[in-house]
Amino acid sequence: MRVLVVEDEPKMAGLVKRGLEEECIAVDVADRGEDAVWMAGSTEYDVVVLDVMLPGLDGFEVCRRLRADEVWTPVLMLTARDAVEDRVAGLDGGADDYLVKPFSFEELLARLRALVRRGAAERPAVLEAGDLRLEPATRRVTRGGAEISLSPKEFALLETLMLRPGKVLSRLQLLEHAWDDTYENRSNVVDVYIRYLREKIDRPFGADTIETVRGVGYRLRA
Amino acid sequence: MTLAFALALGVVLGALGIVVYTRFEDSLNENTDQALRSRATDIAALVERTGPQLSARRAERFVESDESFAQILDADGMVVDGSRLADSRALLSADEIATARAGSLTLSRDGVIEEGDPARLFAVPVGDLVLVVGQDTEDNEEALGTLRLLLTLGLPIALALGSLAGYAVAAAALRPVEAMRRKAAGVSEDRPGERLPIPPVDDEIRRLGETLNAMLARLEAAIEREQGFVADASHELRTPLAILKTELELALREGRTEAELRAALESASDETDRLSRLADDLLVLARSDRGTLQLRWEPLSVRRLLDGVAERFRTTGDDVEVDVEDGLELSGDRLRLEQALGNLVANAITHGKGAVKLSARNGEDGVELHVEDEGQGMAPEFAERAFERFTRADSARTGGGAGLGLAIVKAVAVAHGGTAKARGADVWMVLRNGR
Repeated sequence: MRVLVVEDEPKMAGLVKRGLEEECIAVDVADRGEDAVWMAGSTEYDVVVLDVMLPGLDGFEVCRRLRADEVWTPVLMLTARDAVEDRVAGLDGGADDYLVKPFSFEELLARLRALVRRGAAERPAVLEAGDLRLEPATRRVTRGGAEISLSPKEFALLETLMLRPGKVLSRLQLLEHAWDDTYENRSNVVDVYIRYLREKIDRPFGADTIETVRGVGYRLRA
Repeated sequence: MTLAFALALGVVLGALGIVVYTRFEDSLNENTDQALRSRATDIAALVERTGPQLSARRAERFVESDESFAQILDADGMVVDGSRLADSRALLSADEIATARAGSLTLSRDGVIEEGDPARLFAVPVGDLVLVVGQDTEDNEEALGTLRLLLTLGLPIALALGSLAGYAVAAAALRPVEAMRRKAAGVSEDRPGERLPIPPVDDEIRRLGETLNAMLARLEAAIEREQGFVADASHELRTPLAILKTELELALREGRTEAELRAALESASDETDRLSRLADDLLVLARSDRGTLQLRWEPLSVRRLLDGVAERFRTTGDDVEVDVEDGLELSGDRLRLEQALGNLVANAITHGKGAVKLSARNGEDGVELHVEDEGQGMAPEFAERAFERFTRADSARTGGGAGLGLAIVKAVAVAHGGTAKARGADVWMVLRNGR
């Protein structure tokens, strides 16, 4: 495993490096946010351990920039700030996990291993398809910057499609992901909502993002 | 409140009604009396010329209609002559005749012409006789009756409507107050950004609302400062705690040599000291916030105070000078002042350049204790915020401090009744002389 530790308090950085190296993990250290961004962009790390309070760019900004640069390395945020808003900001900014100081070193190791198991799949916090953009955290949908107002079901359906761009999803699959148990197999409700969705996100813009695949289901054009 | 208003309105309306009625009544009576006097004069003149003959055609001119009449009586009360309506019974009694002969007589009487109808009489002497002219005042009475009816019906209605209107106006005026009150009941520290709704009209209520909102803004700022302090303090405490924990966790792993263990324990000890200093600083600041920072006051020689601080740093090889006149004294807490001055000297050594000079002099506001170095000092923008908590000249932590040093200096100065200031490479405390 190769890990990038981003921490400006020298003693803390040294301790984490020493502890990880004793577990046969290769460790690089960065003490500024900007350094972390270019280092993680140029080397393929398995995990980035990112402190939030950094001089220059803070941890939240580092994470956002990495994701914007399409660096999907798992990020574990480490910080002394435990307020809920900070955790939410970190996770919504693209971090995969969040540990509050003081932490148990064993726990840090376990979480790093779990993150590496998950792998570095492309998993942006904001979903995009062409100029259509969906932000799960704020429940905002825009196309070319123009706001689109969706009902909760329409939003859930669109999110399901956008999480699997280019993949055909059957009505049953769409039903399972966007509706709860009460709907059983009334699959025409999916057709109805696909129509609503197209009315809102495709027709007014002359776009054709939701594609019908005859006999199978629907697909989001990637 | 509406009751008081209704009462006042009732009194006003009642008084108004009474005034209107009496004035009207007086006016009617006056009109009637005037007409009677005028007629009396005319008829008296006629009688003097042509004798007491009211039934003659000439007299008809002065005795107009079914409602007016005239009568001439002699001194014994016998009717000499009378107009059509009053030619039988004497209109006046003997006493009344006597009064009329003395000057004149005006009175009201019922039942002269028709049963029950009121009339007004006026009598004047004409020679040896007495002339009585009269007027049926039934019309007047009817008018007064109508007025009475109008007033007795109308005034209560006016009172009721006025009270309702008054109540409605008051309620409308107070509605924004109620809106404000409801909002105020919900304001708490969880939602410090809320403000009270302001009515659009520019009146006292609006001004009250604006003042209250300004107060809420000040409170919100104070809460933010305090929450910021708590957040920063907790953050600063967790960092050395995390280092301690990780250090000890790693040391507890198997296979550590004694040297490794010793190193780990020393590092842990350093961190513990750091934590302990930090906790102490935070307590000083917290107590200073509440005004409960206890000082042990004693008279101090300023020279000895500065020398003591300088000596501490000289032993570690730093260049510290002292420049103070002899005999300068102040009252204060030795330990706290040494702590504050020590923070300033440490700052100067870490962030400044060259020799550090401790000096003191009597300023206009009190004794000034200065610490200067030979470097550039603070940038003016930073100097403004320098004494706030957790501010550092750069956001790095290379100095090892938490950014509380200057905040402590200010807290100590304030506890002594003074303040702390900075300009360039010169930072000083102003302490009031004595308590």
